Amino acid sequence: MTPRQTLAWQVALGLLLMALWEALGQLGAVNYVSRPSLVAAKLALWFGGTVYQHLGTTLIELILGMGIGSSLGIVAGLFLGRAPVAAVVLRPLIVALYSVPLVALAPLFIMFLGLGVLPKIVLVGLVTFFLLFFNTFAGAERIDEDQVHALELMGASRGEIFRKVVAPGTAVWIVGGLKIALPYALVATITGELLATRAGLGFLLSQASERFDMAGLYAVLFILMTIGLLLSEASARLETHLLHWRQGHD
Amino acid sequence: MTEKIRLEAVTKLFNTRGTTTVALKPVDLSVRDNEFVALVGPSGCGKSTILNMVAGLMPASGGRVLYDGAPVAGANRRVGYMTQKDTLLPWRSTADNIRLALELKCRRTAKSEADDRVAQMIDLVGLKGFEKHFPAELSGGMRKRAALARTLIYEPETLLMDEPFGALDAQLKLVMLDQLQRLTQDRRMTVLFVTHDLAEAITLADRIVIFSGRPGRIRSIHDIALPRPRDVYKARFDPDFAHLHATLWDEMKDDVIAAGARA
Repeated sequence: MTPRQTLAWQVALGLLLMALWEALGQLGAVNYVSRPSLVAAKLALWFGGTVYQHLGTTLIELILGMGIGSSLGIVAGLFLGRAPVAAVVLRPLIVALYSVPLVALAPLFIMFLGLGVLPKIVLVGLVTFFLLFFNTFAGAERIDEDQVHALELMGASRGEIFRKVVAPGTAVWIVGGLKIALPYALVATITGELLATRAGLGFLLSQASERFDMAGLYAVLFILMTIGLLLSEASARLETHLLHWRQGHD
Repeated sequence: MTEKIRLEAVTKLFNTRGTTTVALKPVDLSVRDNEFVALVGPSGCGKSTILNMVAGLMPASGGRVLYDGAPVAGANRRVGYMTQKDTLLPWRSTADNIRLALELKCRRTAKSEADDRVAQMIDLVGLKGFEKHFPAELSGGMRKRAALARTLIYEPETLLMDEPFGALDAQLKLVMLDQLQRLTQDRRMTVLFVTHDLAEAITLADRIVIFSGRPGRIRSIHDIALPRPRDVYKARFDPDFAHLHATLWDEMKDDVIAAGARA
């Protein structure tokens, strides 16, 4: 199939599903499944004004949490991955911490940090920290020692070995970690918001459910799906950009 | 001439799953400054182990490894080491891999000069047109040549080479041998060269050290008195060459056949 044919089939399938959904709603299940037309009307209303505050809150929590969590995770993973002794000492502690289902910590953060964006940032940061830490650690540990030796014999300093071998050699693993972490970060953000908040998409979601506003519920889910898709597209682009040298491998 | 490398009763033991294997029985060897020494022998006779110890990547189990009269402790930065497995960085293009040593602080080179030297090296090893390719896009022989260029570009005073031309076809191998001879003579490098190929060893070396199979030990050392510069393309048709080849092969063949039977 040509790309154009594939696209045509995909659009046709999407329209068919929409039509089925609309029919199901028209046939009387509207209180459970709403209808695409109602959801669209809701989205139009929200994007006329009120949604931006919530969207902005959620995105800020997500971006700050991911940014801080993944940076710390990468640094810690690179450091411990290249310091075997420290890794042996610290690893059990890290594994023990990671064994706690992290979203279960949300109530704790909310009690410590209140109802604002801070507890969500901490939660998202923690989730992404661990995912990035474990991936980066695995990558840094698997660096080809022969490549390190080659640089040593050339007279490279420790810093140069780090910049020229360890960091680029771990990039594959870091990008992999980011790809895994994105959906988890979104889950952590929404979970935090569902528990207690005054703004954010999670807030819209719980508000809609309290009011039995089915169109509103589906509208939030649609927005979340769109965010998820955009994020995974962005990470795929990042991967192609950073790892272009791997094309010959696959 | 002064002594560059000296092995004094050097031994190597390996422990694997509780069993100790003797890889190298006590070996004594002295390599002079600007000398080209080839190590030949069957697989598993400890030739690569000797290079690793001279490079300081592996400690000796017994005896001493001296470089310029001082014991080798840790990575020996005076040597360039071309290992059997190429260690090109997969995320760098051919040209950027070859440039690597010139980017380091210890011999930081101006960009224009580095560009020139990289271009020269690419020419020398016949990789023109492949500058922008990544290692995964090169053939085994091309990767070997890129690794050779990466080692030669910074002109280390001593070269350790572990079967550098194993993956090359016969004609290209001769071209490489010729270039290597010229370069090592011009820059007065000391070379320790491990190979399976007796003809290659006779073509290049001042001395050939023949090892016998596991556990490795030196069976005999031969001076190769062929005049320099040698014509690598025609050397093998010289009667002296043929005579040497026959003598050395007689010396080696039992071990090689025994090693083959073990494998």
